[in-house]
Amino acid sequence: MSQQVTAAPAPDTGLDQHDAPVEAAAPSRSADVPTLLNRLQVAAVAACVLFGVITAGMQLLAWQANRAAADNTEQLVRVQNIQSTLYRADALATNAFLIGGLEPPAQRQAYDDAIDQVSRSITDAAEAQSADRDVLADLNTTVNKYSTSVELARANNRQGFPVGAEYLLTAGGQLRAEAGPIITALVDANAQRSEDAMGAHQPWLLLLPGLLAFAVLFWVNRQLAERFRRRFNIGIVAAAAAVAVLTLVAIVVSQGQRSDNQDLLDGSYKNAVDEASARTAGNDAKANESLRLIKRGSGQVYEDAWAAADNKVRNTTSADAAWDRYAAVHRRIVTLDDNGRWDDAVKLATTAGAGGSTAAFEAFDEQSRETVASSGRTTTDELRAGNSGILVLAVLTLLAGLAAAGAAAWGVGQRRKEYA
Amino acid sequence: MKRLLVLTVAAAVVLAGCGYDETRVPKAAATSAPSSAAPAPAPTCDAGTALRSYAPPSTLPSPGDMPRGSTMAKIRNRGRLIAGVSADTFLLGSRNPLTGKIEGFDIDFVRRIAAAIFGNPDRYQLRVITAADRLPLLQKDEVDVVVRNMTINCTRWEDIAFSAEYYASGQKIMVRRGSDITGLSTLAGHRVCAPTGTSSLDNLRRLAPKAVAVEAPNHTSCLLKFQQGDVDAITGDDTVLAGLASQDPYAVVLKDKPFTSEPYGIGVNKDHVDLVRFINGVLEKMRSDGAWENSYRTWLAPTLGRSPGQPRPQYGRQP
Repeated sequence: MSQQVTAAPAPDTGLDQHDAPVEAAAPSRSADVPTLLNRLQVAAVAACVLFGVITAGMQLLAWQANRAAADNTEQLVRVQNIQSTLYRADALATNAFLIGGLEPPAQRQAYDDAIDQVSRSITDAAEAQSADRDVLADLNTTVNKYSTSVELARANNRQGFPVGAEYLLTAGGQLRAEAGPIITALVDANAQRSEDAMGAHQPWLLLLPGLLAFAVLFWVNRQLAERFRRRFNIGIVAAAAAVAVLTLVAIVVSQGQRSDNQDLLDGSYKNAVDEASARTAGNDAKANESLRLIKRGSGQVYEDAWAAADNKVRNTTSADAAWDRYAAVHRRIVTLDDNGRWDDAVKLATTAGAGGSTAAFEAFDEQSRETVASSGRTTTDELRAGNSGILVLAVLTLLAGLAAAGAAAWGVGQRRKEYA
Repeated sequence: MKRLLVLTVAAAVVLAGCGYDETRVPKAAATSAPSSAAPAPAPTCDAGTALRSYAPPSTLPSPGDMPRGSTMAKIRNRGRLIAGVSADTFLLGSRNPLTGKIEGFDIDFVRRIAAAIFGNPDRYQLRVITAADRLPLLQKDEVDVVVRNMTINCTRWEDIAFSAEYYASGQKIMVRRGSDITGLSTLAGHRVCAPTGTSSLDNLRRLAPKAVAVEAPNHTSCLLKFQQGDVDAITGDDTVLAGLASQDPYAVVLKDKPFTSEPYGIGVNKDHVDLVRFINGVLEKMRSDGAWENSYRTWLAPTLGRSPGQPRPQYGRQP
């Protein structure tokens, strides 16, 4: 634009000329002033509208990020629950095998329930997150293969054939070798998504549209001041004030949300993830306890696996006391087995009564499962509950931006009237 | 302005709701193909002397009177005999799923040795081992005896000691009903399973080098591979294959004569010559009191037919 506006600067009286009587400037080329006022009005209105839209859009993204974080956390808890439940199924199957003969109906029912729950959870997880669908389909295939092998183990076992044990051991080995990496990938991907979404709040980014709009309004005010001998234009000042306040509020709210999300990440979210890992490791330990006894003296590899799982549980569980009680029974089983009292060790590992390893383990498993459920629920509830404020703020920001645009237009309009 | 608002909201929803990278499982390292290593060299020892064990004492010490400082006395002081056995070799040593107990032809020998040391056939601890574990566990003294259908040969004599032969077995082939495999000469190109570290695997590689040898931890694992179609045949001792075939109505053991001789012996640490002599004495007693025949009748006669009789022992080995 080559057109020049060369209104004569007003002499500075040193007084606040806010309410000074209207005194038209004496432009050298008066025909240019309406055009200038139009352009200044467009610039001020555009700055306010863009500020409102961009800031509201960023707040909308933050709102959406929290919703996504809640959904991803639910998915994470779901896939960890699949893992724990699968390992629980394997612990039940190996323990039932150790009992010999017909497995107790309650134990059989518990195994069937665990496999049913895994199948339902895989379907739910596939519906909840399309990005997980292919991997969940692979997991479904692996679980089917596992449960088929366990059924073959049972069928052979019922006929007294040792190949039944081989099917069972192979099923457990395949479960860990094939389903393990799949579930780890699912857990890692969903944990990453959750943590990314919870950490998506960037308060200082909200400063940019505010600063930009404020700068444009400052410049417009300055242009008007130079030509109309008014230091401040009420409309522009009101718009600038609105922009400043909204920016400040947006930053404070975003910072608060960021801080709340960090508290969740360090608190209930971490509890849910850690406890789910502990529950999986606990069930893995229980299965290895049975495998150690099935292998009768050549089970050191399973005892090593038990020790590794025990270490993992101790590092992550909040149900320490319940785990300690189970671990104490396990140590008695090991002592009995090492001293050649295998039959007594098996009795202690398989009895359903109090004092046995199964009852002690079930107490841990139940407590751990409740912790996972409640911590997961707390995380998602808080993400969703604290989120509606951001949505309200986004709407208010948009409306206030539009109002600021109106005020700026009105302010420039006043000068146009004066000029006319 | 309205259009701008709609576009912004739409972009926000698209950016926040979609765009997740698809979940992927990291690729595992490629697993190795079934082993097709070169066949192990055939044992070069003299088959005529391989079966010679240490002569038993003229009279077995009574259970309460083991010679001071002897291996048997140490076992007695410990309170139990520790035996390495199989828990999945049907008829020889396998876990009965209905009772949870390990039982079979081999286990009867453990019971007799325990009875000879303690006066009580139940004073034993079974340690379930794979074929590949047999020699190392004896050498490390982690088990007192191995009674796990182990073939006596000169190569093994270099590492451990054996009792006199307690069963004369031989290697055969098991196939599916209707298979085109009719014997060793037709194994070329077929996948044949045998347990790792066994003479069955060595014999397969030596006598049928064009067959694809597939290893498994034990014979029952071979049966699982066989039932899942991963292998076409299993090779092993006739006793073992009889146990496998009786678990699968679609499996049949070829009726050819065994293509190897597999004399079973009880494995002992090579330094415990006194225990070998003691065990040979127990075996002699089993011959004289009919215990060997009873055991054969209970476990093997239903599938292998009439008793071939307890093998005649060969002694004369010197420590």
